[in-house]
Amino acid sequence: MTSVLSIQNISKSYGPIAALKGVSFDVPEGSVFGVLGPNGSGKTTLLGIILDVLLAKGGTFSWFGGMPHDQARKEIGSLLETPNFYHYLSAYNNLEITAALRGKGEDDRIRVLKQVGLFERKDSKFQTFSLGMKQRLAIGAALLGRPKVLVLDEPTNGLDPAGIAEIRELIRSLNREGITIIIASHLLDEIEKVCTHVAILKRGDLLLSGHVDEVLVSEDQVEVRAADMNLLQEVLKGLAGVKKVRLAEQTLQLSCDEYTGTSQVNEYCISKGIILSHLLLRKKSLETKFMELTNEQKPA
Amino acid sequence: MIDLLAIEWLKIKRYRTFWILAALFMLLLPLWIYGVSTGFISPGGGKKGGNINPFATGYKFPEVWASVCYWASVMIMFISILVIILTTNEYGYRTNRQNVLDGWNRMQFYHAKVLLVLVLSIITTAYIFVVGAVFGRINSGSFTDLFHHLRDVAYFFVLSLDYLGFALFIAIWIRRSGLAIGLFLLYSMFIETIGKALINHYANKPYGNFLMLQSSDELLPFPLQQMAKTMMGINQDFSLNIYLAVTIGWCALYYVLGRLLLLRKDW
Repeated sequence: MTSVLSIQNISKSYGPIAALKGVSFDVPEGSVFGVLGPNGSGKTTLLGIILDVLLAKGGTFSWFGGMPHDQARKEIGSLLETPNFYHYLSAYNNLEITAALRGKGEDDRIRVLKQVGLFERKDSKFQTFSLGMKQRLAIGAALLGRPKVLVLDEPTNGLDPAGIAEIRELIRSLNREGITIIIASHLLDEIEKVCTHVAILKRGDLLLSGHVDEVLVSEDQVEVRAADMNLLQEVLKGLAGVKKVRLAEQTLQLSCDEYTGTSQVNEYCISKGIILSHLLLRKKSLETKFMELTNEQKPA
Repeated sequence: MIDLLAIEWLKIKRYRTFWILAALFMLLLPLWIYGVSTGFISPGGGKKGGNINPFATGYKFPEVWASVCYWASVMIMFISILVIILTTNEYGYRTNRQNVLDGWNRMQFYHAKVLLVLVLSIITTAYIFVVGAVFGRINSGSFTDLFHHLRDVAYFFVLSLDYLGFALFIAIWIRRSGLAIGLFLLYSMFIETIGKALINHYANKPYGNFLMLQSSDELLPFPLQQMAKTMMGINQDFSLNIYLAVTIGWCALYYVLGRLLLLRKDW
């Protein structure tokens, strides 16, 4: 798969604070690429750099295999941080400026306004819009001229739950049309539901990047208790599907492979003559995983 | 170039503040000149409707050009503030950023504003020409001397570039509307006057006249002052050509500094 964007060793500092420390990754064509990280991890800074509004301290990036940046930006629809429009102009007239800047010729303002549900309000001034409507207009503006790539920074900011679901659906359908989408968010849920690839940032460091299934593998755990915990622990080491046994708070936590669940564990223990007093399947959520990845390492 | 101006036009054409300020300028300038030329307004504090009103002289060809251009050089503040508003709006709305996200590069954004300054100067100068021609015709009774001293109109064009260019630079540097307008007004009304007085006091020649806005003000002095100096045989310390060169030098400097600021800062 070719990549639409390749980032090499990008760094950036604001005074003494290092906002990005040598970040590198590739965004494959046709992917929904999530840039994930807690507040202040450098997501927006990174997107600002690849869109030429912020200046990197070091490193390089190339769009579409080396297209000049000025030309590349015309192929990219982007929403960075806030919806930026002329307050005194209507939605429709604001989009006229966006379209003129893109220079694509085709006037598809009506199409995008319908797509983001603002057609009825097209003649209202931007300053009369609610936060959610401003956000929708910004997404609409990004869609003008049918860009090859969308860069969306926290696209669901200010939207109600129905709006969030709508945007998610919109992202999926645009992706099906072949548009590559780069989306930054601190909401794991958002990323988890739509992304095919992720990069996880923490305080300017790239922790991980790759296919979502590889980066965010979720493991289930089985919790068990019995009268004789030592015996139980010994016995369970003999069960093939159990990868790890850990004793915590008078409970054994078992990390199991995909073929081993509560029934297999129960059946095995009974066959060994042990009656379980507690048996529970604990789903380890991506959120826990994310917290583990991004949480501060406690000083030793 | 036309593309840049076309987009700038989209930003302006429905911006009411722009049109109100521009209309006020276009309306107040001839009204003011009419008032002064008929003696109804006497800015020097002379008796209203008195027999001798020195201000009422100088509205025939060719002196009319010096008078009209002088008053226009005072009122160019309106247009300068407009330039500041139009530029700082972009920062306030963060549309400077969005313009780049949507496909312009930083220099295209800058050149659109520089072109705006150029076009506003051309239009204002053209308007001044019309106003001067009308007053000259009314007071002279003919167009015979229309083209005498027309260089004052050219001086006004350079003065306009100086004021609007300075305003654009302040706006790009400060980015915030209120502060930029405040600094611009403070500078043009007080800081430069004080600076000029200090330099002229300590230097052996009035080099203070070469300050940013003063250098172009020297091109269009208060008409009576000019007349008095000529009558009393006072030599100008520097020729108008020197002031012209210095003013053009300032304009070039604003352009270069603005460019450096825009290329080096984050947006």
